[in-house]
Amino acid sequence: MAYDAHHADGHAHPHWDTSIYPFIISFGILALAIAFSFKFVYHNGFAAILALGLAVPMIIAGIVGWTSEAMGKGEGLSYGAMGWFIVAEAMIFVSFFVGYWYTRLHADVWPPAGTVALPKLLPLVMTFILVASSLTIHYAEHLLHLGNKAGFRTWYVITIVLGACFLGMSAYEWSHLIHEGFTISTNAFSTVFFSVTGLHGSHVVVGLAIFLAGLPSVLRGGDVDEGFMRTAGLYWHFVDIIWFFVVSQVYYW
Amino acid sequence: MNLKEWIFTTDHKRVGVLYLIGSIAAFAVAGIMAMLMRIELSTIGPTITANPTQYNVWLYTHGAVMILGFQIPALTGFFANYCIPLMIGAKDVAFPRVNALSVWLFYVGVILALLTFFIPDPPDVMWTGYPPYSTITTGNTAMYSFTVLILGFASIIGGVNFLTTVAYMRAPGITLNKLNIFVWCTLAAFVLQLIFVPVLGTAVSLISMDKYLGTNFFDPTKGGDVLTYQNLFWFYSHPAVYVIFLPFIGVVYEIISVHARNAVFNYKMVVYGGVGGIVLLAGEVWVHHLYVSGMADWLRIGQMVTTLLISIPVGLMMIGLIGTLYKGSIAFNTPMLYGLGVVFLFLIGGLTGIPLAVPSLTLGVSDTYYVVGHFHYVMAVAGTFAIFGGVYHWFPKMTGKMYNEFWGKLGFWLTFVGVNIVFWIMMDIGVQGMPRRYYDYAHFPQFESAHQWMTAGAAVLAVGFAIAVLNWIMGAINGKPAGDNPWNSPSLEWTTVSPPPHGNWPSPPAVAEDWHPYGYKKA
Repeated sequence: MAYDAHHADGHAHPHWDTSIYPFIISFGILALAIAFSFKFVYHNGFAAILALGLAVPMIIAGIVGWTSEAMGKGEGLSYGAMGWFIVAEAMIFVSFFVGYWYTRLHADVWPPAGTVALPKLLPLVMTFILVASSLTIHYAEHLLHLGNKAGFRTWYVITIVLGACFLGMSAYEWSHLIHEGFTISTNAFSTVFFSVTGLHGSHVVVGLAIFLAGLPSVLRGGDVDEGFMRTAGLYWHFVDIIWFFVVSQVYYW
Repeated sequence: MNLKEWIFTTDHKRVGVLYLIGSIAAFAVAGIMAMLMRIELSTIGPTITANPTQYNVWLYTHGAVMILGFQIPALTGFFANYCIPLMIGAKDVAFPRVNALSVWLFYVGVILALLTFFIPDPPDVMWTGYPPYSTITTGNTAMYSFTVLILGFASIIGGVNFLTTVAYMRAPGITLNKLNIFVWCTLAAFVLQLIFVPVLGTAVSLISMDKYLGTNFFDPTKGGDVLTYQNLFWFYSHPAVYVIFLPFIGVVYEIISVHARNAVFNYKMVVYGGVGGIVLLAGEVWVHHLYVSGMADWLRIGQMVTTLLISIPVGLMMIGLIGTLYKGSIAFNTPMLYGLGVVFLFLIGGLTGIPLAVPSLTLGVSDTYYVVGHFHYVMAVAGTFAIFGGVYHWFPKMTGKMYNEFWGKLGFWLTFVGVNIVFWIMMDIGVQGMPRRYYDYAHFPQFESAHQWMTAGAAVLAVGFAIAVLNWIMGAINGKPAGDNPWNSPSLEWTTVSPPPHGNWPSPPAVAEDWHPYGYKKA
């Protein structure tokens, strides 16, 4: 126990909490940054693969170890912390959108040459799916709160499936557009389109990863960390809300 | 001493000490870069390098490492980590592992910045990284982007951690109006970090994406816009000034209040008017960095008004400091000298900033040494003095030992004299037309003797800083025992033993109804 360490208590070796995983993740990220430089700055693919081969296992091992060390031992503070974190996340999107508006409103011609017509129906379906997944996770949490674990498990898994469907449609759309010759390098609008949808998609991936991290304990049927689930749900709602901005600003404007 | 318990520690105090060691090392490296530039500028023509790009790399490392590797981590890393949980009576921060992650990400960021010396084509984009230069240079811009991204991510998770800690983990009886000014200031800085760092992260990501991944954010031939970067960059980097200013002025409040034995003058004015006002206005003044980049006049005038407005909350915080000194029983020991030094230096820096807010005056001195002198006074020097004073102030708490007062004062006076020589002359020749960022000044031979004075001043202040750091190292090794509360402060961090153990107190500290961190008993 932490408080036993008070040095007035005697001569026992004081206990200091440690964890090796933050250290491992940090240096994994260092290797990741170096891999990027090798690949894109020095054009040394072999060295890049080496650095990447160091980075990815370190980061994954770090996250897995951290999760197993800490899961279920929180003090219920993660929900509030996620709220603050979402402020920071939202600002990333704000900077992309403001940069986009700034560029677009200053442009003489918009859209710039090379822009193709974006699909109009698919984004509607994607919106429907993402909103549905937000509702299903909310319902799942509600059932968990009532103590209905079987119901919770069902709706939790449905949420994950819906999220995966969304990602699949996004990937289909990307490959379709790239096939038509509309790539991230085509012009300023294609840059915005792919970076904003990609940024949002990466958040969907992170949200799904958080759900998957909780999945083993859900499937096992034992105690489920309700605080963890609420926090994961909050993040998912955030990702959902951001999508409205993406869809209205990038697809339909 | 168990090394494993230091490297893998999750304890807020040890994380704090790791931050301190790393940021002082970064300070030393960035300081050496400044000395190299000063030596290069001591004569017209090549002095120690004939390669202007080499000079650019020093400039890049000096600026980027001083701000991102020294000041921000020392203030929001070291002081926040060490002091906030102790000041609010918490056993640790809300997420100790996240805390450890942020300190090691900070080290990784500093390592990336220092790799500059070993890699081919090092980054040469200053700390600002403006495109189009940053997207066409042969220098490694990716290194710059990743350094900023990693340090930025470290400060975001640090901010989340501390906001949660203060919101939920205060000891019973510590109400919002009984928080130390330092806690208020640092919380405000973390709020600013959360709002603005992501914008910087986006901006620096975009230049690397443009350069290496083929995007067109800043390429006008494909419909992009270069000024987008300047706006995004300064939307963070102006508030970054307050991210540095708020914690350092908070440190100075703690120092001055204790060593003048006086409660903080008008506590609520300082917190709600000063700190609150700065948070509200911080995001509305960035365009004054773009006065000469081209913009509509109505925007210039509007930004002049907001820039001048923000001097009001800053002024309230200065009034709070002066009022705290008024009728205090002032002890002129080392931390107090640094604290008073900040008041003096910040006053010069603040007053010389007012002309810069006014477009008609700024257009004349933009991109001259006047601007460099101004921001070194207001942010670099004042902030560094606060950091050094704060380390002296909490040195007995961290080590249980006392530093040497003589060497402490000697170090202070050397730096104080040195910085005034360097930066006063700098502002003077700036007004006379000396442009900044130049590797050579063959067109301005009249400034050579001024440059030599500045180089001499820089040497003096470097000796002063070195004496201070050596004083800490010697004090930590064989200083005299200091006792738990050498300054007789009622603030909570002094109620535990020195150095505090893991968990800080045997049980959460109980405070009396009329307790206040600045409730000094009058003799």
